[in-house]
Formats: sequence, structure tokens, C-alpha cells
Amino acid sequence: MTTREYLIGMLIFAAFITAILYVAFGQITVRKLRKNPKTKDFLGLEYASGWDIINVAQALALPRALSRKLEKSPLAFMNANATVLFEHTNTLDRILGSVFYWLLMVSGLSGTLLVLLNALGFFTL
Amino acid sequence: MTEIFFCNQSLKAEALHSSCAIDIDNLWDYRCSKPDILTPYTPYFFNQNPTAIDRSIADLLSTAPVAKPLTDLSLSFGGDNTLALAEITQKLQDYNLGLLDASAGVYGSRMTGFTGAVKKYQEALIAYGSSLKSNAAARLLARQKTQVAFQSLQLEFKHELNAVTAGVNARRGTPLTNLERATNIARSSRNLTALDITSQVQANNLVKFSKHTALLGNGLAVIDFTSRIGNIYNSHQAGGNWQRELFIESSSFALSALAGTAIVNTGGAMLGFLVLATPIGWVGLLAGGLTVAGVAAATSIGINQITKEDAGGVYDLIMNKLAHYDN
Repeated sequence: MTTREYLIGMLIFAAFITAILYVAFGQITVRKLRKNPKTKDFLGLEYASGWDIINVAQALALPRALSRKLEKSPLAFMNANATVLFEHTNTLDRILGSVFYWLLMVSGLSGTLLVLLNALGFFTL
Repeated sequence: MTEIFFCNQSLKAEALHSSCAIDIDNLWDYRCSKPDILTPYTPYFFNQNPTAIDRSIADLLSTAPVAKPLTDLSLSFGGDNTLALAEITQKLQDYNLGLLDASAGVYGSRMTGFTGAVKKYQEALIAYGSSLKSNAAARLLARQKTQVAFQSLQLEFKHELNAVTAGVNARRGTPLTNLERATNIARSSRNLTALDITSQVQANNLVKFSKHTALLGNGLAVIDFTSRIGNIYNSHQAGGNWQRELFIESSSFALSALAGTAIVNTGGAMLGFLVLATPIGWVGLLAGGLTVAGVAAATSIGINQITKEDAGGVYDLIMNKLAHYDN
């Protein structure tokens, strides 16, 4: 069992949990927001179908100071609007969204880090 | 090297000898028997003493859904171009993973667009070839259609065409880059074509490529899934541990999608902040977006590779642990 295999194993486990949370968050929170005429236009840009789930999670997970700044940006249409979403979600939605978003980011970006370290030769030592 | 012949209509021994100076005694079909007459859309290999490799390559290419598109393609573009196209689609397939994210817009539509444009051009050429027997107006119309298809291919897919034709050294250019040559070939109504296949890997690429031409338009994800499922199925057929293969393929797919998604989302947010903090213009934004898509694609490819190497070990570990608890 090499170090890299161990790390990949952990990533696979994290990816599995993320996938479950993705579907759960989409069904529990985002489905409700898509139906609501007050929120359905504020779910951000869908690069691919279902991407609005990630946008909503990001809006609920990022610290308010950051998301307020993002809303002032000319590119605000790309992200979901946190101010609107906070008015129409409950605590469970926010916790679920934050856990999903940060797990996605941490596991996704550590995958990137792994590729980078691997390219730099860290695992051949 | 194995030289494989395809024709699109039945050819007798005399016709073969007089038009192409090929002795039918040196041609073999994939069952390794000598044909009396060449049947259309069937691979024949040319060799005085057939080898096992010749035979297995011909066998690979012998099923109808593979042989038919291969014959048509190499009749319109020439054998060397068909080989090059097969190779390039194989390479492009490795970029497939960025597909799930924003790079879907960049790579996915580009890839389907390219193969689609090649296909359209080929159809126009075939239509032109068969219009030669009809009246002048129909001929002119068909010729104009090939011209339109040719121009859209040249304008939109310069890089891909360069990559395809770089390995083919013909002074006059290839039918992919020279309309004159292409229409001449269509007019000459050739019905025999040869593919010089140097290895079994190349033959496999050809088989995959001919399958893709049937699947085109469904997007690359379909191709990606079929190739992944193909790996699992092959292992199952070979009596291997297909559950292990399934684990490897699905986990590498999931991890590369995850990494790509994370990068695109971070990149999107970063661009949002960048616009606020600096007087960046639309050009900068486009460049930034492309960078994000590029990094996402590169990461996806990287993590796909690493996971494919390592997921087998992870699977073994889990299975060993489970066996341990069972006892």
C-alpha cells in the first residue's frame, strides 16, 4: 500500500459521500428553490445541467462578507444570489449546503493538489 | 505491416488485376481462405504468406458496423487520413473528462463539432460522387454543397486538421485540406481502398473510431462511458475480475469529475473577485475563463490517470479487509 494509494482511497471515500450529499441537497433544497418563483431566477449560471445545485450550495456556504462582495461584481449573474436564498431557506438547508460544498471543494482541490505533487515527483521518493 | 483492402462493390479477379494490378492469389480474407471474388465491405489482407497478426487484424475489422464506415471513410479521404483521424479521436478522447464542467463548452462541443464537420464533408463528397450520373444542375448543386462543407471544416477546425494531417506527407495536400483532390477522388469513382496498418493498437483505434462515427452527436460523455463500460465488459469476457475493473473505472470517473467541478467553481468565484478588484476587460475575462477550463481539463486528466493506476490497490485493500472480518 503506497502513500498515493492510501490518499486515493480517502479521496474515493470522500467522493462517494459528496455524491450522496449532492443528490440529497438537490432533492431537499434546490428542488424547492427551483419551484419557487421568488428564487428560481437567482440560482446562478448552469454550465451543465444540475450545476445550480453547486451554485446554491456555494451561496449558502461562503461567509456572508464574501458573498456580499460577489453580489456587487459585474459577474454576479454567474453565482446564486445569497441574499435572496437566505430568505427562503431554513437552518437544515444551510447546514446541508455548507457540508456538501466544503466537502466537494476540499476533496476536489486535494485531488488537484495530489496531481500537482505527483507531477513534481513527490511520490517517487 | 499489414495491408488491408476494402471495396464498396463486388470485384472479380480480372477487374482487380486490370484496374489495380493486384493479384487475387495474394489476397486473403479474415478466415484465412482465398476469395474468388471480393465482396463489398469486407477486409482482405495482402500477403504472400499470411501471418497470425494479419489475420487477427482483418478479423478485428470484419464486422459490418466496423467495416462499412471504414470503407466509406477511406474511400473518400484515403487510407492514411482515416488512420490519422482514428488516432486523433483516440487522443481527443483522453481530454474527455473536462467535459463535465465548463470545459464541456470548450472541448465537448469542439470534439463533436470536428467529427461532425468531417462527417458532413464526407457525406457531401459521397453525394457529389453519385450526382455525377445525373444532370448538370444537380451536379452543380452537389458541388456547391461540398464546397460549403469544406469551408466550414477549414475555418473552424484548423488546429485539429493540422494535427490530423501532420503525420501524412503528401505534397499536394490531403483530401481533408484540399477540395480539388477530394472532388477528384469522388469523381474517379474508386471502389477499392487500402489501409496500411502497422500494429494491432492501430487496428483497435480504427474499430473504436468506426464505432464513434455511429455515436456522434450524442456527445463525448457517451463515448467516455462506452469506453469505460467496454473495459469492464472486456475484463468480464476474459474471465477477469470485472468487479475490480468496475471499481477502478467508476472511481476514476467520479474523482476526475469532482476535481474538475471544484476547479471550475473556484475559478468562477475568483473571476468574480478579480472583476471587482482590477479593471479587467472582457478579453481578460475570456482568457481567464479559458484558463479555468484548461486547468480543470488538465486536472481531470491527471487525476483520472493516477486513480486508474491506484484504484486497483484500494479495491484489493478493501476486499482483504472484508475477507479478514469474515473469518
